[in-house]
Amino acid sequence: MIRDITLGQYFPGNSFLYKIDARVKILLTLVYLVLIFAVNNYWGYGAVIVLLFFAIKSSKIPFKYILKGIKPIMIFIVFTAVLNLFMTDGDILWQWGVIKITKQGINYSVFMILRIVLLMMGTSMLTYTTPPVTLTDGIESLLSPFTKIGVPAHELAMMMTIALRFIPTLIEETDKIMKAQSARGADFETGNLIKRVKSLVPLLVPLFISAFRRADELATAMECRCYQGGANRTRLHQLKLTITDFWASLVTLVFIVAVIVLNIYFGKVIQ
Amino acid sequence: MIKIDNLIFKYTESLDNAIDNVSVNIEKGSFTAVLGHNGSGKSTLAKHTNAILLPLGGAVYVEDMDTKDENLLIKIRQTVGMVFQNPDNQIVATIVEDDVAFAPENIGVPTEEIRERVDQSLKAVGMSKFNKEAPHLLSGGQKQRIAIAGVLAMRPKYIVLDEPTAMLDPVGRREVLSTLKKLNKQDGMTVVLITHNMDEAVLADRVIVMDNGHIEMDGTPKEVFKQVERIKELGLDVPQVTELMFELKQAGLNVPENVLTPNEAETVLFDIVSKGTENKIPLHTHADETPAIEVVNMSHDYAVGGPYEKKALQDITMYIPKGKIIGIIGHTGSGKSTLVQHFNGLLKPSKGTVKVDGTDITDKKTSMKQIRAKVGVVFQYPEHQLFEETVKEDIAFGPKNLGLSKEEIERRVQEAAKSVGISEKKYEKSPFDLSGGQKRRVAIAGVLAMEPDVLILDEPTAGLDPKGRRDILNLIKKMHKEKGITIIIVSHGMEDIANTVDLLYVLNEGRIAMHGTPMEVYSRYDELEKMGLSAPQVTKLIYETCGQYVCTVQDAKEKVLSNLKDGVLTK
Repeated sequence: MIRDITLGQYFPGNSFLYKIDARVKILLTLVYLVLIFAVNNYWGYGAVIVLLFFAIKSSKIPFKYILKGIKPIMIFIVFTAVLNLFMTDGDILWQWGVIKITKQGINYSVFMILRIVLLMMGTSMLTYTTPPVTLTDGIESLLSPFTKIGVPAHELAMMMTIALRFIPTLIEETDKIMKAQSARGADFETGNLIKRVKSLVPLLVPLFISAFRRADELATAMECRCYQGGANRTRLHQLKLTITDFWASLVTLVFIVAVIVLNIYFGKVIQ
Repeated sequence: MIKIDNLIFKYTESLDNAIDNVSVNIEKGSFTAVLGHNGSGKSTLAKHTNAILLPLGGAVYVEDMDTKDENLLIKIRQTVGMVFQNPDNQIVATIVEDDVAFAPENIGVPTEEIRERVDQSLKAVGMSKFNKEAPHLLSGGQKQRIAIAGVLAMRPKYIVLDEPTAMLDPVGRREVLSTLKKLNKQDGMTVVLITHNMDEAVLADRVIVMDNGHIEMDGTPKEVFKQVERIKELGLDVPQVTELMFELKQAGLNVPENVLTPNEAETVLFDIVSKGTENKIPLHTHADETPAIEVVNMSHDYAVGGPYEKKALQDITMYIPKGKIIGIIGHTGSGKSTLVQHFNGLLKPSKGTVKVDGTDITDKKTSMKQIRAKVGVVFQYPEHQLFEETVKEDIAFGPKNLGLSKEEIERRVQEAAKSVGISEKKYEKSPFDLSGGQKRRVAIAGVLAMEPDVLILDEPTAGLDPKGRRDILNLIKKMHKEKGITIIIVSHGMEDIANTVDLLYVLNEGRIAMHGTPMEVYSRYDELEKMGLSAPQVTKLIYETCGQYVCTVQDAKEKVLSNLKDGVLTK
């Protein structure tokens, strides 16, 4: 059950998308995010979808697997869409009591769906194709200019690395404790809210105790391996820009221009 | 050389000294095993060798560097590498080679040299081709070898390992030990191995036995292990063949007492016994048995559609007779834990059926609550599920969920606690204040209090010292005798359960490889070995010398005595 979550996981592979430098990939993803929200008509979204399509195709990750990542947030998507559909004022197309559907409402809700789905798919392309370590290396490297103004770049990266390293371990552990308590008749699935929150105690107490024990042991193990913080540390992997990064950036640039042109040419659909 | 001088150490929360005036030297190039029951001070001693702990009294010198000198800290830690029990809690990075690079990165080794050190270290532990893997997808033995590589990358001169094999299956153990042996022999690495496994200690050239913060025995394995009675007094164990020789000597035979390996024992026995007629192996028949659990053509697949899709179980058919003790053995990943989770409906089969006491668990109308009240599961390291404020409350958790009356809950708690040997004065204590073995008893009581017809124990002896293991197995036998319930023991250890179970199922790669009485299964020791499991040492030994099948030391002794060559006299 809990192991089926694919969101944010790395999907081992070796295609074009995997070869882009992590820093470039992070920056391009940021650009892509800006694009999603800057677009104001359906033509623009067409362009963004084409860009995403290129990314997915060149990653060679099965499309089905990427869709699976959307599944856990499906309820959230539907909820936002429905809310926008019925709650937006404008040119009324259909009305029943206080409930009404407007032209603007339809546009808003379609935009919301597109934004959330594109956002999730786009960012998961980053996490699917970048090993977490490389990702944190990228973030550390991008943040390092800011260490002078007090941003703890190394510490943040180290925290992320450890968090990522322990996510599968703790998921497995949660699964185990849940099963063990279920075997003692614990019920995590039924009852009202208060009952459900209460039912989490037998899960959370052991989980926290175990997390603290692990943290303690890990800290000792790190000390044994001479960890002394970020000062004077060297790296096994040094990030290097290649021709791949140039091509990826160029393609993205083309789409930025395309979106700007489409935005101006076709005008706004929503306010 | 590591020189420990009149070392005294006390933890702030305890009254007694954890290390009480210990002096010992670890010579360069040696392979030392440190034994001792839980809480004897061996881990505390180990942590002094690389300044994780600092002496309260006395001193520790690593190649003449005083561990109390803070300026030498990093140098000392580079010289003495340390590996711990749980491989999961010492791997920092999400990719193997990044983890191995962690220490050199910390020391500030230039990039090109880090690469060289990483490749060399991975090669030394035989894990080169896994350099890009994610550690959580590796087996326990592989993870532990990565942890060793991570330490080797510091280029240490000493490597201290604190029960590195405690959480591993026989295959993992063998992997780690042969790695250590190779490091010691080929690269001249000094190895200090803390262990509960006597067969591992035999490989060392020096054995130190600790008890209550003292060094009780110190010598070559032969010198130490021949004192069988003394070792047992200290809550430890000796290898099976050593015990057999000791027993034979007691019976009046003139055999050497410092025999440590099956090969040595074989040489000794060849001289005094001749092959007898092969004894009949008792076969298991299911006549006069009613099923507690029946599994028919069952399969289970994991993570269907994902990149890690796996067929965990295939075509399992088994029959668990009522009122017996059944063993399910297999190495890690053989599917044994997945299998038992079907027995109380925690997992549902992808194909086939599982019937508990005649009720099909795949039937939508079956109440899982009822199934779980009938089949209790004690998971691996069950003490990790304790959560209540008092021992009593924790044991009562299961019965409460069954919706029983207050009096009934009280009765069950009392009875369960009594069965596992938890005395009344511990009822109001926090379970977290108990010792490891006691915690495990409380956790077992928590399941027992549900009064199941079938009790499943997954690796009940994992992580315990030899005395703890014996105690738990005796407890299981006692529970079985008193309550007459069906007990299923899941394990990768073989010797432990040889004289406990009535029927054994062997799982390999998700299929049932063999089943039958312990003797039936152990007699196929060659096949077991190929599956990465091992039969008791004495099984092979006695078959090869006396031509007869046994599975315990006691049986072995009888067979030897009844097959003595003419002229071999008992005194």
